[in-house]
Amino acid sequence: MKSFIISAALIFLPILSGCATPPREYYAVSGDKGAMTVTSRDAGKPGKTTLDAANPVVMHDGDQPRAGDISAEQLRSRMTQALAAQPLPPKRFTLYFIEGSDILTTESKAVVTSIFDEIKQRPDPDLIVVGHTDRVGSIADNDQLSIKRANTVRQQLIKLGIDAENIQASGRGERSPLVPTADEVAEPRNRRVEIMVR
Amino acid sequence: MKHFKHPLAVLAVGALTGSATPALAEQAVLFQPWAAGIKVSNGPVQIVHGEKTYNGRVGAKLRVNDLVITGENGSVGLVFLDNSTLTMGPDSEVELKRYNYDPTTYMGAFDVFVKKGTVALQPGDLAESGPDNVSVTTPKAELKGNAKQLLISVGDAK
Repeated sequence: MKSFIISAALIFLPILSGCATPPREYYAVSGDKGAMTVTSRDAGKPGKTTLDAANPVVMHDGDQPRAGDISAEQLRSRMTQALAAQPLPPKRFTLYFIEGSDILTTESKAVVTSIFDEIKQRPDPDLIVVGHTDRVGSIADNDQLSIKRANTVRQQLIKLGIDAENIQASGRGERSPLVPTADEVAEPRNRRVEIMVR
Repeated sequence: MKHFKHPLAVLAVGALTGSATPALAEQAVLFQPWAAGIKVSNGPVQIVHGEKTYNGRVGAKLRVNDLVITGENGSVGLVFLDNSTLTMGPDSEVELKRYNYDPTTYMGAFDVFVKKGTVALQPGDLAESGPDNVSVTTPKAELKGNAKQLLISVGDAK
């Protein structure tokens, strides 16, 4: 009899408290990598917990942030419309340059056609143009050269009719080599501009 | 239409091989006119920019301090300059509180406030340079870190 009362209480308690408490919040992460720290903003009831693969759902109902009472799958099924609005992933293209210059290699000229084909596939295309260098020269000089390469491509894409507002150009210098090398090594595969059509 | 492609390609190649580079284009700090663009939009979606409210259709841009609001059966998908994506389900409201992005170093700050509804966030380059760069606040909590995908539900999830 005692256990029946407890069971009944467990069944009705969430319903009763659901009416009384403000809306619940749920947070979830997916994947094995990465973690978030969840900190309560209620100064009267400070609390903190970690959201990660071991604790993939956290809820906050006004008390303390703590392990959620639903699974990540259940949360996903409650937010199918948000998840379905995921934009197409960016399509990446790479153009290569002649050493120390902003002039494209012959092979890369053909890639430009593919870029325009991809632009036509997208409802609202915008482009991110990122210049890269190899490790010959100083970091500052390579930053400048990578921006110069990206801007050259950007200016030409604008001339070809793409709205200037929809092309962002930047340079990563020697920070993101395609092929890692020691400093001062000339590596043609790292002298490139990456274009993301989004 | 097929024939159109070829002249375009020739033009592109000719233009790209031109060695004259406008000196004005070389600037260390690049102009970023917006923070994110709407790529997917279904049902009622609005952007509130100061006193003005815009239709949140595909192609609309989001700037710092703007609100994105979805109505009944509305949903929206945004892509940020650093390739972060943020999607929202129905009856949701999000404010872009801060967005600074240095595309050279990937340093910066990305703060959003999820007032209500359902939101999925996939942080981009900004999360790579430091776990504290990306911050999501809700009415009850602040979340910081380097998760690859974060799901948020504030209130009754739909």
